[in-house]
Amino acid sequence: MTPAQNMLTFLSRQAVTAATPMILAGVGELVGELSGVINIGIEGTMLMGCIAAYTVTGVSGHGTVGLLAAMAAGMVMAVIFAATSVWGRADQIVAGTAMDLLGVGLSGMIWMMYQNWRENLGFSTALPRGSGFSAVPIPVLHDIAYLGPVLFDQYALCYITIGLCVVIWWVLRRTRLGLIIRALGDAPEACHAAGVRVRLGRSLCLLFAGACSGAAGAYLSIMQTHAFASDMTGGEGFVVLALVIFGRWKLPGLIGGCLFFGLINSLQQTLQTARYTSQNAALHALTHVPFQFFQMLPYLAAIMALAIMSRKAPGPRYINVPWPEVKT
Amino acid sequence: MAATPLALKLTGISKTFRGVSALEDVTLEVAAGGVHGILGENGAGKTTLMNIIAGLLRPDSGRVEVMGDPVPLGSVRAGRAQGIGMVHQHFKLVENQSVLDNLVLAVGKSLFSRSPRRLLRDINYWCRELNWPLDLDVPVGSLAVGRQQRVEIIKALCGGGKILILDEPTAALTPAEVDELALAVAGLTRAGMTVLFISHKLLEAVRICRTISILRRGKLVYSGTTADLSVDQIAEKMVGAKVDVPRLTQLAGHTETPPMLELVDVEYRAKKRGPPVLKQINMTVRPYEILGIAGVDGNGQSALAALISGAVNPTAGRIVHRSGGHGNVPIRLGYIPEDRHKEALVLPLPIVSNLLLRSYRQRPFARWRFCRFGAWRKHSADLVRQYDIRCRRLEDAVATLSGGNQQKIVLARELSQQPELILAVNPTRGLDVGATAFVLRQLLEARERGAAIILIHGDLDELLSISDRVAVIHRGTLTITAWPDTTPAQIGRLMLGGM
Repeated sequence: MTPAQNMLTFLSRQAVTAATPMILAGVGELVGELSGVINIGIEGTMLMGCIAAYTVTGVSGHGTVGLLAAMAAGMVMAVIFAATSVWGRADQIVAGTAMDLLGVGLSGMIWMMYQNWRENLGFSTALPRGSGFSAVPIPVLHDIAYLGPVLFDQYALCYITIGLCVVIWWVLRRTRLGLIIRALGDAPEACHAAGVRVRLGRSLCLLFAGACSGAAGAYLSIMQTHAFASDMTGGEGFVVLALVIFGRWKLPGLIGGCLFFGLINSLQQTLQTARYTSQNAALHALTHVPFQFFQMLPYLAAIMALAIMSRKAPGPRYINVPWPEVKT
Repeated sequence: MAATPLALKLTGISKTFRGVSALEDVTLEVAAGGVHGILGENGAGKTTLMNIIAGLLRPDSGRVEVMGDPVPLGSVRAGRAQGIGMVHQHFKLVENQSVLDNLVLAVGKSLFSRSPRRLLRDINYWCRELNWPLDLDVPVGSLAVGRQQRVEIIKALCGGGKILILDEPTAALTPAEVDELALAVAGLTRAGMTVLFISHKLLEAVRICRTISILRRGKLVYSGTTADLSVDQIAEKMVGAKVDVPRLTQLAGHTETPPMLELVDVEYRAKKRGPPVLKQINMTVRPYEILGIAGVDGNGQSALAALISGAVNPTAGRIVHRSGGHGNVPIRLGYIPEDRHKEALVLPLPIVSNLLLRSYRQRPFARWRFCRFGAWRKHSADLVRQYDIRCRRLEDAVATLSGGNQQKIVLARELSQQPELILAVNPTRGLDVGATAFVLRQLLEARERGAAIILIHGDLDELLSISDRVAVIHRGTLTITAWPDTTPAQIGRLMLGGM
């Protein structure tokens, strides 16, 4: 393999690694928005997933338990959000902002309390050895050229995410359940007349989204890194939100957007290190550029892509419209 | 009556919404087979009663029995299991999904299958039975209203319906479509179905239904054979008082008074180089007269209304206010637009605000630019009494009122200003007998006061009954007729472009 091919494989693999949590959270958000509820607090839910996964893994010593705890934390957040916006008729944007703030603040506070508690007991706050996840290459398949390392040498949750995408795609395109989910967001009246309980249906969609966002948080804290830091999602939740719209509420568009964002992200990370190690004069000149500039690139790319490519696409009609519309 | 089995039996149904009674102790029996009409004015409780039967609403008390079996209340699924299918006035369809998907969504049982063979068989069966070819793959939103209604009916039938509830099915249909629907309904009853036909349009209900029940203000006032009552008696039972259709008694003879409004060679193009929507319009309207403008919808009425109300300017020609005076003096205009939801009312705002949309800045409703809410309330309360607007509180959103009451709010606001010129476009559309008579009477009273009135109206009978002069608009050209020296039939021919 030539160095260029090596580089391409490496970047692609990094892109998939970085895109996985966003796809996971995005699939949940997509289902929620199709049912008529926009949750702009994904970021907060992901952070709660991060901290739940990290602390539970740290205490129990089992990554799987941590992952389940993260999903549970995400679902708790979803319950709060559903209670306010679906059942309490609160404005979804306002309630979602509150959920974001809640997640950011609460996760940071739990992190401080956890550190104090562990240190007082004389334990390390780092994860117990072997409790975090590492990449699981799939036998045979990971030897395939290019595709092997890119798709089949990832974390287990990545494979689950791929499977989930296929299942959700099938549900949305091919089943009555998918029709119901879409109808909840496009014509809740029709659902009601068909005997579907609108608020319950939306709540279940939100619960699913919460579990997805929580798992995405766990991916960040006990898989991709084995650490927690306040605000470690770094705005990914909001990028996901934008990418759902960018993908026009369609799964392939969403996945494509996430992979694009992941690619730019892995590119900028590579650039950051390559400018010091490379012999190339042009690359070397970049050493004077502050590292924040590189970190900014994926977000800049996301904004530009949104500005250039997002033609007006009609989303679900009843997003942010409470049910029933007239309070009785 | 005793010999035929009962398809539906309601006992003591009552329902209140936030303290206001919508239905009071309604007891009703419907025999199996045949079409049973449920008549009543807007807001009489017809739709509430039907929603209760279909399980969309839970009554406060009462029982529903289908074929002798009690139906669990407040559950759509339970109602459907007993064979109740409902076609709502405002269709409950997902517009961006295909016809088949809509049927699967509503009737399907499994969460995962999307083209169940049994359902397809049912759809085919009913399409053949009713002779309605349906394209299952097109999005419902792309179908015309009449076709969407067919989807709704098929949906109710495929749900295993033995009792079909049609809520105001003719409201959105053209006369030809109404005939087709009546034919289909007759076919269904021959197949053993029982049809409940809800309507506030008296004549068609009498034509279609063999038995009727009449609701008035939430109470059942009549139930029996249609033929036992005359049309006038039915109308009287619906409204609760004798209805006399307002009629002009004496023609205006004020040809010497200067015109309030004059259109001279007015032409209007919607786009700069587009074809003219209105051509060479010449007309005058004087105080103390009603000028009726008849025409089939879509012949330039909207553009004419926009010109007269001042929303757009003519591309050629002149509009003269109170000619003979000093140039173009603005006149007080009362405008009752065609679409009351979009142009006349702010639906989420309370009744008070809607009544004061025009005058809130004037004394006594504002002083030093501050609102005087006391004066607002007092004025609104007066208008509500004067115009018989039925509402619970002045603070209620206009969206919660029935169509007739909404139109009364528009009338109250526009007519209470003592307008010199009144422009009314289809002012009785969607209103029931009582409300229609009220609107027409108000226009006649304004005429007595000396207003000049332009009435652009699609209903020829109503138009002729209150107009001093009649013009016909066809493809953007206005013809002043010799009314009352012509026959309605001649005017009808003019509307279709004949000579």
